[in-house]
Amino acid sequence: MRPTSLPEDTAQPRIPRRYQRPRSPISWLGVILGLVVGVGGGLFYTWVLNPVVEFDTQPWQLNAEDRQQYIVAIMLDYGYTSDLARAMERLGTLRPQQDPIQEVADIACALSTSGYVNNSSGLRAVRAMMRFYQLQNRQGCADQIVLPEDIQPTAVVLIQLPTPTLTPPATKTATPEAIARGTPTPGLFIVPTTPPQSAYEIANIPTFCSQERAGLIEVNVVDFNGQGIPGQRVRVRWDGGESSFATGLKPGRNPGYADFQMEPGLSYILDMPGLSDPSQPLTATSCALENGDRSVISYRVILRPTQ
Amino acid sequence: MRFLISFFVAALIGLGVGLYLGWVQFPVQFIDSPASSLAPGFKDDYILMIAAGYAADNDLNGAFERLRLLEVNDIPLYIQETTERYISNSRSVDDIRLLVNLASGAGRLTPLMEPYQQVTLPGGS
Repeated sequence: MRPTSLPEDTAQPRIPRRYQRPRSPISWLGVILGLVVGVGGGLFYTWVLNPVVEFDTQPWQLNAEDRQQYIVAIMLDYGYTSDLARAMERLGTLRPQQDPIQEVADIACALSTSGYVNNSSGLRAVRAMMRFYQLQNRQGCADQIVLPEDIQPTAVVLIQLPTPTLTPPATKTATPEAIARGTPTPGLFIVPTTPPQSAYEIANIPTFCSQERAGLIEVNVVDFNGQGIPGQRVRVRWDGGESSFATGLKPGRNPGYADFQMEPGLSYILDMPGLSDPSQPLTATSCALENGDRSVISYRVILRPTQ
Repeated sequence: MRFLISFFVAALIGLGVGLYLGWVQFPVQFIDSPASSLAPGFKDDYILMIAAGYAADNDLNGAFERLRLLEVNDIPLYIQETTERYISNSRSVDDIRLLVNLASGAGRLTPLMEPYQQVTLPGGS
């Protein structure tokens, strides 16, 4: 009779040892995948979806145009204080990739070849930069484009007059007294080449932003006591045109008052022909009103006698 | 189930690590930024430099043009506020005088600033 089971059948099957250990509650594969997904998601959120709000920008992070303007400001400050250490410290905040002084020279070059030097303000800024880098023995193309400020017309011109004819000897004829006056001593005439002082100067040009008086140049010609002077001719010039008008033609306003309406976007230069130097360019740019609306900026130009 | 629990716990930990790295340790470095986003200290420095330039050339338009870079709505008011803050915080007198000079040019001379206004004495400087 056949046994119900063979001896080899009754033996328990061998279970690998790894299955006999207590099972770990942690799935390492899950941990690794979870960490990858978590860190990746966190970085995606913080770098792309919701990055740190930009508000504490350092100068080195500025874009190229604003970086130029920041360097211009440093140079303007240097032009006033002559504090080289401070200027270098400020240039250092821009983390220049090259010699910072040469960078100033390069920017002066770039500005001088652009429209930046078309007004006196930009010209002064470039000259301030030139003074800075020239003192440090650097060079730039601005040296050939922009004349230094201290090149002025020669102070005097010496004119050698021809030797005067000697006075003839006295004759027996009575000489009229008028002729007996001495001949002016010949000599050197000194002719100044600097222009004469202007009779009027621009005291101040404050700006204001108004809805009712948008884009207006308000002119006030005043005397030494601040009283308005009527009938003074004022000229405004712009690209492609000019206009002249007189003060005192606005009833109810100061007798020295006159105004001119600007076209938005244009720049104007104001003067009193033959009596004052031209003003800085007055540009009809946009400005913000207190309620947030936009308007065109207005200027108040005060002209007073030169002191 | 074991896998899912491990995955989600690790994902939460990883998310925390990712947020820390992205916001604190390695935050986004901005370049090509406008001057309007400059840190307040550098904005103060900028307006001070412009004030020095104005003291040298008396070019108010040029100063305003350069301050427009900061994209403030009311430049004269901004000059006034900065100047008064400098005075209130007892900053350098030289700096305050430069700012007061600029504020005066902008028509924003306030009583607080008047003691710092540069005056020219007769026969002196």
